[in-house]
Amino acid sequence: MTRYAMVMDQRRCIGCQSCTVACRTWNDLPDDIIYNPVVSEGVQGVFPDVHATFTPLICMHCDNPPCTICCPCKASQQDEDGIVWVDEAKCMACKVCVNSCPYGARDLSSYDRPLHSFVRKCNFCKDRVREGEQPYCVMTCHQKARIFGDLDDPQSEVSKLVNSLKVERIFPELNTDPHVFYIPDLGGHR
Amino acid sequence: MSHMNNNKLTKHYWVWPIAWYLFLGGLGGGILCLSGLFDLIFRHGIIEAGSEPLAQVGAIFALPVFIGVALLGIGSFLLVFELGQPLVFLRVFISRTAIIKYGACLLVLAMGFGFIYFLFFLPPEWNLFYYDWLWLRDVCCVLMMVFGVGIMVYTGVLLSSMKAKPFWNTPALPVLFTVSALSTASALMALAAGLWPATTFALPHQVEVQHFLVEQLHVIDSVLVIVEIIVLIVYVLMMYGAGNVTARTVAIKWLRGAFAVPFWGGMILVGLFVPFVSYLTGGIMATAVAPVLVLATGLLLRFLIVYSDARRPIPGEERYWSRIPKGDEEFLSAWK
Repeated sequence: MTRYAMVMDQRRCIGCQSCTVACRTWNDLPDDIIYNPVVSEGVQGVFPDVHATFTPLICMHCDNPPCTICCPCKASQQDEDGIVWVDEAKCMACKVCVNSCPYGARDLSSYDRPLHSFVRKCNFCKDRVREGEQPYCVMTCHQKARIFGDLDDPQSEVSKLVNSLKVERIFPELNTDPHVFYIPDLGGHR
Repeated sequence: MSHMNNNKLTKHYWVWPIAWYLFLGGLGGGILCLSGLFDLIFRHGIIEAGSEPLAQVGAIFALPVFIGVALLGIGSFLLVFELGQPLVFLRVFISRTAIIKYGACLLVLAMGFGFIYFLFFLPPEWNLFYYDWLWLRDVCCVLMMVFGVGIMVYTGVLLSSMKAKPFWNTPALPVLFTVSALSTASALMALAAGLWPATTFALPHQVEVQHFLVEQLHVIDSVLVIVEIIVLIVYVLMMYGAGNVTARTVAIKWLRGAFAVPFWGGMILVGLFVPFVSYLTGGIMATAVAPVLVLATGLLLRFLIVYSDARRPIPGEERYWSRIPKGDEEFLSAWK
């Protein structure tokens, strides 16, 4: 079985936001929607011992997604390979999935025509991925901080990283089983 | 280009129609539930002395049931109105798992059986063929209670099921909503009881029984108001003491922040304590003022809850969204 996942190597991310811009370009996103912001708490520490950590965000493509079970129209759904996506043709924009996502990965599009808006989110560039290509944000990252692949394939880079390094996930206590893994900056030490 | 709120942490995706719907749904569900209960207690709604009918209890609550059905209808309309695509609202019935789907089914069923029940109280001189099908009226009463309770509880469950929203994600929320729904429902029933079509049932003790039942409703409501004060304060204090920083931040907003005046002054003092005292003193304060204040409190509660939808920020997220440009939209889209 294929289980797509992403690893964010925070040791390598420099917060340039290229992935954010690339995603907006590839998906032709409206001004007010961002799928993958790169956030940071800013410079930490006392000079001269300072550092900054960048956290690239994206839909976590959880194994136990709270956003699919609550969708009344089956528009928000998860495929066998773990990709969580919204079928815009089925959505009626009740926004229950937007409110149920603990990661803020979803947003409502503005009206593209009267009485027509829908929920949008990252879909791991599923059309590219299923033709053997990389998601656009991964392809753009010149630092190779975003790594994408099949977690169930022992030979894949994500599988090797997740199984060999100490990786972290965001809000694991919510039991959503997110499938975006973070390799912490500074080897996890401050 | 107009100003956009790009800050995902402070953006409210559910706004006033949902707050109004949660209020109207709870109110309508509560009315159907209590009316069905009253009619079942006074079996077939008739108080008799020997074989002589003295008063039609069911008819006294017929108008409240009609109002309840109408309010559920208005609430459903607001739900549809709030959708991004209102015209395809029937898609709500597709899923098997979604709480919203069960809520929509409960709404439709409650409105249907409530309306059938109301038909029993059309003026008796019309001699409609189903007037003596008392089994159907009993069935309606039971189903109105079942679906009414369902609506009251589900409006709370819908919000409390969201683990993304720490201030909602607690089993105390359905309890709070249910108590508030029952309290607003008995307030509205006390206001509307005994008007048309009950007056068309010219039975000897109709008016006395109506006054008696309205007094009972005042007693019920004064108890519910006290319970609501307790549940509400415990709810907010529980969130204040919670380990979750976001829940605590919202609770502070209620206790001494932006929501403090509507919470302490509007809800606890004017909206709940004053009605309690009014019910005790009686007179015009109990018959007219207290129920209106209780109803207003129910609406205010739903608004404050709906706007307490803070999501727990991922570290660094607050800084990011606060820095997104707010006035450069024209610049951002100039190249198109």
